[in-house]
Amino acid sequence: MDLTSLSSELHRLRDAALASVAAARSSATLELLDVEVLGKKGSLTAVLRGIGSLPPDDRPRVGAVANEVRASIEAALAERRATLRVAELADRLATEAVDVTTPGRPIGRGALHPIIETMGRIAEIFGRFGFIVHEGPEVEDDLTNFQMLNIAPDHPARDLWDTLYVDVPGHLLRTHTSPLQIRVMQAHRPPIRALLPGRVFRYEAVDASHASEFFQVEGLMVDEGTTMGDLRGLLDEFSRAMFGHDKRTRFRPGYYPFTEPSVAFDVECLVCAGSGCPACSRTGWMTILGAGMVHPVVLQHGGLDPERYQGFAFGMGVERIANLRHGVGDLRLYTENDLRFLEQFR
Amino acid sequence: MRVPLNWLREYIDIQLDPEQLAERLTLLGMEVKGIEAWGADWRSVVVGELLTVVRHPRADRLSLTTVDVGAGQVLEIVCGATNIAPGQRVPVALPGAVLPGGRRIERAEKMGVVSNGMLCSGDELNLTSDVDGILILPPGTPLGTELSNLYGDTVLDIDVKPNRGDALSLVGLAREVSIVTGAPVRFPEIGLVESGQPTSELLSISVEEPGLCRRFVARWLSAVKVGPAPDVVQVRLQAAGMRPISNVVDASNYVMLELGKPTHTFDAAAVHDHRLVVRRARAGERLETLDHVQRDLAVEDLVVADAAGPLAIAGIIGGASSEVSERTTAVIIESAIFDPLAIRRTGQRYALRSEASLRFEKGQEFRLARIAADRVAGLIAEWAGASVAAGRADSAAAEPGPTQVPFRPARIDRLLGTQLGPGEQRAILARAEIATEAPNGPATIPIAGEVKPLTATAGLGEALIAVIPSWRADLEIESDVAEEVARVLGYQKIPPILPHTAMPPYLDSPLGVRDLVRQTLAGAGLTEVVTAALIAPRQVEAFRSATPAGPALPGDDPAEGRPIRAVNALSSEHAVLRQQLLAGLLQVVALNLHQGREDVAIFEIGKGYGYDEASGLIREWWRLGFALTGASQPPAWNRISRPWELDDGKGLVELIADRLGFAPPAWTRLVGEPVFHPGRSASGASEGALVGRVGELHPALRATEDLRAERIVIGEFALRGLAGGSPTVANIVPIARYPAIERDLAVVVGQDRTAGEVERTIRSAGGGLLRGVRLFDIYTGPPLGADEHSLAYRLIFQASDRTLTDAEIETTLAAIRAGLAREAGGRIRA
Ligand SMILES: [Zn+2]
Repeated sequence: MDLTSLSSELHRLRDAALASVAAARSSATLELLDVEVLGKKGSLTAVLRGIGSLPPDDRPRVGAVANEVRASIEAALAERRATLRVAELADRLATEAVDVTTPGRPIGRGALHPIIETMGRIAEIFGRFGFIVHEGPEVEDDLTNFQMLNIAPDHPARDLWDTLYVDVPGHLLRTHTSPLQIRVMQAHRPPIRALLPGRVFRYEAVDASHASEFFQVEGLMVDEGTTMGDLRGLLDEFSRAMFGHDKRTRFRPGYYPFTEPSVAFDVECLVCAGSGCPACSRTGWMTILGAGMVHPVVLQHGGLDPERYQGFAFGMGVERIANLRHGVGDLRLYTENDLRFLEQFR
Repeated sequence: MRVPLNWLREYIDIQLDPEQLAERLTLLGMEVKGIEAWGADWRSVVVGELLTVVRHPRADRLSLTTVDVGAGQVLEIVCGATNIAPGQRVPVALPGAVLPGGRRIERAEKMGVVSNGMLCSGDELNLTSDVDGILILPPGTPLGTELSNLYGDTVLDIDVKPNRGDALSLVGLAREVSIVTGAPVRFPEIGLVESGQPTSELLSISVEEPGLCRRFVARWLSAVKVGPAPDVVQVRLQAAGMRPISNVVDASNYVMLELGKPTHTFDAAAVHDHRLVVRRARAGERLETLDHVQRDLAVEDLVVADAAGPLAIAGIIGGASSEVSERTTAVIIESAIFDPLAIRRTGQRYALRSEASLRFEKGQEFRLARIAADRVAGLIAEWAGASVAAGRADSAAAEPGPTQVPFRPARIDRLLGTQLGPGEQRAILARAEIATEAPNGPATIPIAGEVKPLTATAGLGEALIAVIPSWRADLEIESDVAEEVARVLGYQKIPPILPHTAMPPYLDSPLGVRDLVRQTLAGAGLTEVVTAALIAPRQVEAFRSATPAGPALPGDDPAEGRPIRAVNALSSEHAVLRQQLLAGLLQVVALNLHQGREDVAIFEIGKGYGYDEASGLIREWWRLGFALTGASQPPAWNRISRPWELDDGKGLVELIADRLGFAPPAWTRLVGEPVFHPGRSASGASEGALVGRVGELHPALRATEDLRAERIVIGEFALRGLAGGSPTVANIVPIARYPAIERDLAVVVGQDRTAGEVERTIRSAGGGLLRGVRLFDIYTGPPLGADEHSLAYRLIFQASDRTLTDAEIETTLAAIRAGLAREAGGRIRA
């Protein structure tokens, strides 16, 4: 082997390699070629093995040629590699395309019951004004449910609460959340700002507007200077939060044995905006809660001196509020639990 | 109370239109529930004049008439009444007219003659109670006028509150109108002409129970001609919702509505010795009441009696024997004041609540006993031509003066949040006929009246005295006066402010943990339901636990005691307080399955109730319940839905435990609970935080609970915090900086060895380096023995202070293998 033939051998090898690189259609072919030509057992290595038979003076010259050949093959490989990578990525993206207009895969999600949600919303609103939630027993004694609230046995006002009695002597199913007023006053000293939600019971045939079980939220605020003006202001804020800023409210006399003065609180009819419709008995107003200044006798039963302390209480039916908010017309929907109804509250 | 405005105008001038009046009364506390156009249901009924009346050629009972209905129009009408004659003005229903009750009048042929409408009786128009005769109108009634323009009225339906018995009357409501408008009230004039023998010689009275009958007034009328009351009276009574009966009874009812004072009339001939006694009923006494029911009287009942026995149940209902009838010629009027509580109890005992007893229950103004007796006597004299005997029999003729309620104007302003001052408060009270005067010394202010009477002493100049009108029994203490001031002023004039007083100290809301659980479960695909606390006795029994679920969690009541029953439940389906939530939840599942729905995933957070007879304690405990059936996730076009399974139920409980910061629950097989599938149910517990059961519903209950689903997963758990308290706060440990190493391990054990046991063994043998154990496969079949299964676990090892060496892991694995062999008889699969 002489210098000339070895050089021409190298050039031939280079030409063949460059042709193969140019012809390669995939990265895999290219990598194979890389190993075949430039690898430890590759054809270039094989040719260069002949370098040992050359005279020492020629060896650097062949080395220079060999480096040139290697460099040009490597450059060709790199270039071809880049080109093929782009093409291959394009191919892959093309084959991976899907129909993007199919519906998304549904993720199951439940709904929360409108009564519990409404009760929570009421608690949240009054919570902003410092009212703290307390709860109490649903099987209540007659004393706390009625007598301590200034409703003696045989009081004509007992007609306002049709009562379910139970087979535990002296007990009944609480007809309202108002007995919690007594329990809170007995357990906590003023200042009191309490919100008292819960289930109540009535001896009542069930129809679209009557239920034998429903939920109420009671509020109680007692300290030394709480006035009827505070009650009015707070109820106005509640109406704004619950029904919107644009709704007018009305503060008028009501009657409860455990408040004096007693209050009925109306909000402008949400259906007709006050012009009068069947939903509001053509009055333009909807009564949303009853309230009043805590009766001195009730303060006494709560262990508070009515000369020192004064305050207000209010109570509302949660279903009534939910009806108004969501446009529900039949109380039975809340207890039937038809999912077609409940799932609309998601 | 139904208030015909035309009648109300008798007592006060009203310029406001009905809607304005209704609103003003409502703002005064007399809530108008409805405004009814009374008579609006007479359509096309006009006033006509009978021109001719001749007998029908083919029917003796019928007459042929010609009627001028105005504007020259004459109609031929066939009529069956006998009280008609030419020249009378009568109501004519024209063809197309609709009468009360929806009866439609058309042109019709009657025995060969065409009738172009109908002449109407008072009864057909709901105007009077006369069924037989045509209603004969006064001669001057304008021809052709729509009857509704003549007799129609606007009737307000007013909700009079229980403390205002005085306003259950037209005069009382006229007083309320006067507060609004300032117009004077015209109290009815009682023009009574007395004649003949004095009452004291004709009848005598005796009140044996003065505690139950504070006053008894009687009057005697003779030469009574019983007949119908004047039409105008009948119309008023009808509009007010009372049926006219006779001039005598109507006079009594008329005065009850006018003054609010019920009275009773006896046929004097039926009263032995003309002597009335008010006493309690005696054991064994009976009375046939006006409704022709024989009633056994109770010894608590107050009766009005004569020597022969009871004549009436006092204040509730009269007796049939002394009822005023067409044969009556002498009448005794009873105008009494009975004890409200006694009337209420007796009325409830007989389930008899009348307009009269309603008024007695609310208390009666003392002087009204006298006034009403005179007023009824005067009206019967006028309407029935009777003579009124001179004087009254009266058991308590002395009438007390007005009561006085001292009050402090400054205290009222402090309560209302107003700055009215004494002058304005006096002016306001004067509008309600409440006079005020200044005391000439310290005044004793009534703060609370009942139970623990409380008064305060007000110094000179601090107090005023309100002089209460005799009819206002509701004004007793200072805060009553405050309400009266606010009401007359108008609640709308109280300035709204926001509270600026001291705040109460912080307390956790009991809703907090419940809300976390609710949000978590809704996120997991479950819908919240609220079911009844009162359920059927059958449901309570069917779902009763065989064994207690576990100890009560802190802050909650233990689930113990017998079921509590509602003694007067309206429906047997809602008669007993539940002790678990599952019955109600399954009812919801059943309802939704019946709607054709297949997938139902619901939960409820609610209470169970029990009465522990031994301790006398009533228990109310909180639970989370859930029920799952159908697909656990919505299907998609490229995903098959998977059914809810027991493991999903357990997973939900584990999710909640995780959310609330509880240790993961340990599961053990649940045995002996008939509600659950015996092979597919588990008890779960996390010490002091969570305890309950989850499993498939026992297939036998699918039929009894009417459930059309193959499998239903149910669960009920007590969770710490449902009854109140704060959620657990996460306590953070540093993130491990050294690598975790995983090893897989398959152990073959007998099938009686549960995964729970095997995992517990692995964990206890693995010690502190074993950080995680995850079951990833269970295999049965060859080459394993028939009663064996292989459980494959991925174990995670990690130390917090170093990278573990292979040798350390091998030592730990060896310990695990040894533990499994020793405690579970397990062998390791290669
Ligand atoms: Zn409306």
